Amino acid sequence: MRTDRSKDLGPCLPMEGDDRIVCRCEEVTQGEIRQAVHDGMFTMTEIRRYLRCGMGLCQGQTCSRLVSGIVARELGIRPGELRPASSRAPMRPLEMSIWANECQAPDGAAETKKGGAGDEKC
Amino acid sequence: MKRVDLIVIGAGPSGLSAAIEAAKTGMSVLVFDENARPGGQLFKQIHKFFGSKEHKAKIRGFVIGQQLLKEAEDAGVQVSLESTVIGIYPEREVVVRKYVETPAADGTDPQEPSSRHEAVFHYKADAILVATGASENMVMFDGWTLPGVMGAGAAQTLMNLHGVRPGKRVLMLGSGNVGLVVSFQLLQAGCQVAALVDAAPKIGGYGVHAAKVARCGVPFYLSHTIKKVEGTNHVTGVTIAEVDSHFQFIPGTEKHFDVDTVCVAVGLSPMSQLLKMAGCEMDNSGKGGGQIPVVDAAGQTSVPGIFAAGDVAGIEEASSAMIEGRMAGIRIAEYLGYETKEAGEAEFSKEEASLEGLRQGMFAPQNRGMKIEKTEEGIPISTNLLKHGFVADDEIGRFPGVTHKAGIHPVMECTQNIPCNPCQDACAKHCIHIGLNITALPAVEEGSTCIGCGMCVASCSGQAIFLVNEHTKEGCAEVTLPYEFLPLPKAGDEGFGMSRSGKPVCRAKVVKVRTSKAFDHTALLTIEVPEDMAMKARFYRSRLECTGGDSVIAQSRIKGAEVSQNGATGDRPCESKAAAESEKREEGAAI
Ligand SMILES: Cc1cc2nc3c(=O)[nH]c(=O)nc-3n(C[C@H](O)[C@H](O)[C@H](O)COP(=O)(O)OP(=O)(O)OC[C@H]3O[C@@H](n4cnc5c(N)ncnc54)[C@H](O)[C@@H]3O)c2cc1C
Ligand code: SF4
Ligand code: SF4
Repeated sequence: MRTDRSKDLGPCLPMEGDDRIVCRCEEVTQGEIRQAVHDGMFTMTEIRRYLRCGMGLCQGQTCSRLVSGIVARELGIRPGELRPASSRAPMRPLEMSIWANECQAPDGAAETKKGGAGDEKC
Repeated sequence: MKRVDLIVIGAGPSGLSAAIEAAKTGMSVLVFDENARPGGQLFKQIHKFFGSKEHKAKIRGFVIGQQLLKEAEDAGVQVSLESTVIGIYPEREVVVRKYVETPAADGTDPQEPSSRHEAVFHYKADAILVATGASENMVMFDGWTLPGVMGAGAAQTLMNLHGVRPGKRVLMLGSGNVGLVVSFQLLQAGCQVAALVDAAPKIGGYGVHAAKVARCGVPFYLSHTIKKVEGTNHVTGVTIAEVDSHFQFIPGTEKHFDVDTVCVAVGLSPMSQLLKMAGCEMDNSGKGGGQIPVVDAAGQTSVPGIFAAGDVAGIEEASSAMIEGRMAGIRIAEYLGYETKEAGEAEFSKEEASLEGLRQGMFAPQNRGMKIEKTEEGIPISTNLLKHGFVADDEIGRFPGVTHKAGIHPVMECTQNIPCNPCQDACAKHCIHIGLNITALPAVEEGSTCIGCGMCVASCSGQAIFLVNEHTKEGCAEVTLPYEFLPLPKAGDEGFGMSRSGKPVCRAKVVKVRTSKAFDHTALLTIEVPEDMAMKARFYRSRLECTGGDSVIAQSRIKGAEVSQNGATGDRPCESKAAAESEKREEGAAI
């Protein structure tokens, strides 16, 4: 799906609820998202990079649907027509200390029930 | 790097079912789930499920979960908990965050037996099944970020997994099955439900679920939505208002409720990010509730060896998630050569037929958004049920489950075509007929004789069956109803008979309370009511609940209760004098 950049959205007029927080992790408001669209951010990836919404603790689990609704409305399209932002690891927020601690699960090791690791070596 | 035949991500109903099928063929199967307990959503579902026997109907969700875990263990499935999959990489490499247990150095320090820390592990499998389920949707209104506003599923987790009441007085937004089921469970946990609100003009979930909530006195506000949640540090109140057909607020229709909790049940979104990361082709049209992978009937995605099943492949329910899981498990075993094509196909088509059976009736995916005016039997549907959550007195008589007869007989107030039939199986006397088509309305079998055993009442997943004896003695009738609240009333207790809308309509005396293992925690309450209330009284409230304390009923219905108390004379609830009074009272209560 190509993004039509020639679209004239007109001025960004204030709307009810503009001061409402949409992305609670990064504290981004509806007004900021609308303004970003008028500044030329037409895709979810651009919005994410520009405002950081959906890049906080919940990784957009709560707000991505709300954000795409706002962006689509501003562009006058259906939310389904917007390409969703890309999905990357880690799927859940992860402390760098854990990310850096890569372990080997030996072949054939039995998984234990509580919390996994039996004879994994670290 | 550890290698297995199949890695399943998510130990919910679909993931476990797939793992069981695959392991039965001799495959090595490893299941990861980020929670400390397996079972996914199932362990929060304390209600009895719909469907028919093959779908585990009338069994409570968490019991189905326990059965699945036992089956998984017997089949040799390994389940690794507190293990979060953070990525799927090329060549089916799965990266997991989980704990490493370091045993105590030499066991000398009893205070520090062992320590745990988290690390990242890499696994590889010949097939991967993503069964990660879904997450709750939110809607925005002023105050939606205040503590006390939460998803209905979150409230359910608090109550049913952690034993914590989410609040004292709750407003529920969303009238789908999740909103209805959680509202009832909030009442069971001892919370008050101030109102059930939905922006749509009609109730989205099953009528029998709505009726359960309505007869407890919870008012429904359709074509209404939240305007604003009030409070500074936490929720202290909420204002709702009516919306027009374009979902715009109608000025002057605001209603305020003092509540400390607002639950939101406005749908679920598939958690499909792992599939997208793995390069699977995705469908973003919104038909599965959000972004879903493009899959075939067995859940095979566009990437060979990667499968998806359950809510992540399109929001449905646990019953269908289990079947989808089994179908994926069978196909994966075939794909890796653990099962012959013929044997696999035979099992596969059996499951496919069972899934087809669930996807029938008024709520079937193909009927979504359609305006249904008549049942499959050609009976006009109850419009009151869709608007107010209960079938009106002048509508109930037209359904085949509702008949009049001398002596005790079952009354099935089940008026929509839903895939469900445990009532038919429950009656050894063949009093209840549904037939082969499980979405047909339950009907009273002509010429049958009910012995009042109560099995049908207890096994009805929708708590929609009552036993009625319209004339026991001069001016008296008896109604037996399903009751799932604690403390249980006792024989001899006196209180009020409540209408389908949750209003007190007459005095009632508890004559019998039956509990039994076969009833599976549904108590059967038999109340004596005036004769003319036999087809109207559908719930019981003690006098205390109606007049004292801070119960829902006391708050919302106190007026009606006062009328009843003052109006009733004599000791016996069903004396003809009281019966005459009650008629008047009902008129009063209806206003
Ligand atoms: C309030 C409520 C009431 C319901 N009532 C009914 C009902 O009466 N009848 C019915 O049939 N259905 C009901 N459902 C629906 C039913 O619960 C779901 O459809 C069903 O649980 C879906 O099963 P699943 O296996 O796809 O996903 P889930 O049960 O959601 O399981 C997915 C599992 O995957 C785990 N997971 C997710 N991501 C990762 C990751 N990256 N790493 C590791 N683990 C991960 C999750 O933690 C979860 O344990 C209800 C749902 C809700 C919310
Ligand atoms: S009470 Fe017993 S006999 Fe009567 S309809 Fe129900 S299951 Fe059948
Ligand atoms: S009456 Fe029968 S079909 Fe209807 S909800 Fe109850 S058990 Fe299911």
